[in-house]
Amino acid sequence: MTTIPKGSTVVLVGTRKGLYVFHSRDRRRWRLAGRFFDGLPVHHAAYAPDEGTAYAAVNSTHWGATVQRSRGLTKWVRGKAGPTYPKGSGWSVAKVWNVRASPAEPGVLYAGVEPAGLFRSEDNGDSWDLVRALTKHPTRPKWSPGNGGLCLHTILPDPANKKRMIAGISAVGVFATEDGGETWRTMNRGMRADWFPNEKPEIGYCPHKLARDPEDPTVVYQQHHGGVFRWDEGKDRWVEISRGLPSRFGFGLAAGAEGGHAYVVPLKADTDRTTLGEMAVYRTRDSGRRWQRLTNGLPKPAHLTILREGVATDGEDPLGVYVATENGQLFHSRDGGDHWGAIAEHLPLAMSVTASPFP
Amino acid sequence: MDVVLPAALREYAKGAGTVQGKGRTLAAVLADLEARFPGLRQRVLEDTGAIRQYVTVFVNGDQVTDGDPARVRLKDGDTVHVLPSVAGG
Repeated sequence: MTTIPKGSTVVLVGTRKGLYVFHSRDRRRWRLAGRFFDGLPVHHAAYAPDEGTAYAAVNSTHWGATVQRSRGLTKWVRGKAGPTYPKGSGWSVAKVWNVRASPAEPGVLYAGVEPAGLFRSEDNGDSWDLVRALTKHPTRPKWSPGNGGLCLHTILPDPANKKRMIAGISAVGVFATEDGGETWRTMNRGMRADWFPNEKPEIGYCPHKLARDPEDPTVVYQQHHGGVFRWDEGKDRWVEISRGLPSRFGFGLAAGAEGGHAYVVPLKADTDRTTLGEMAVYRTRDSGRRWQRLTNGLPKPAHLTILREGVATDGEDPLGVYVATENGQLFHSRDGGDHWGAIAEHLPLAMSVTASPFP
Repeated sequence: MDVVLPAALREYAKGAGTVQGKGRTLAAVLADLEARFPGLRQRVLEDTGAIRQYVTVFVNGDQVTDGDPARVRLKDGDTVHVLPSVAGG
């Protein structure tokens, strides 16, 4: 393992066969700091610079799910207990899909699991409590899995208000709390569900990924099964912003560094989940009113699949953008998407990528 | 009794491949082990208390077929093997 110098940028790639940690001082030359959890699926891993700690969702087919943490990104420690459903619930945690440090509460973590549920830890992942009100939501008996399972895959705490949070569940929809998880409401108005006879049900939607606007946390972007949408809190509904994209379908989505900036990678359709003949990232700088196709340095022809955690930004200036594929490529741009290169091309199937400063 | 752990779970037992367990059922033995090796039981059992789908338990060389560990009777001198199922193609 390589010690990562302070002042680096770190990129964590969760794959079906372990976690890969890359680092760079200049974002031109990248080094592999190490491979961890060899052979195990890592659905999500992220470094939280404010906490100085990284968290990883490690899911063994045989032995179940664990949440692990690391301070220097060279050695990982397993939490004393993973998230566990109460015995009488009839559910058992199969996978942890997402781990999120609460930006407003040091030491507090949230984990989204399958079957869908949200867990909270107040001791950096050594113990977990189920956020019961969400799994007691009146719609719970009707929750159905998407193709990836019934998973709570996105957790968006509001950095300005620790009581407010959004959670995305496939194929159920988006839920929001404004009282620290005591109560939850659905947040699906304006969303499309054209696979149902009733196109406007309360649940049954399939959010693939959500991200808050970097400047206005009340604005949320969503790559949904049936389009890309924006939530403006004042309007209290989703507005479709797919116009200008070659396809409504896709999984990955990341916010940029400035207000109104976001990135998606459209895929052909739910019946053919590959890029449309070339690897192309799309960027908006005006909250989805217009999209710019970014291909400089990306491969063509290319029929690649990018999963829901497959697009990330690093928060640096100029902004670094990262895309990880099912074929094991890790593409990156260090100028906001204008020029691209590859950090790695032969990783195992990539399920997630995150990037951040390593101060 | 001896409880033989697979390589993947030895980190829970400070590297030991075989640990001593006490109890009259598999559930009791796992509870006993959990007290000394926190997190180990969660690797063997689902949250519901059933043996995980891809975990196989043998007692004295015979495969346990009941998924409920409370119904798996044990006695002093038994040897319990915990193994990952062969879950491939």
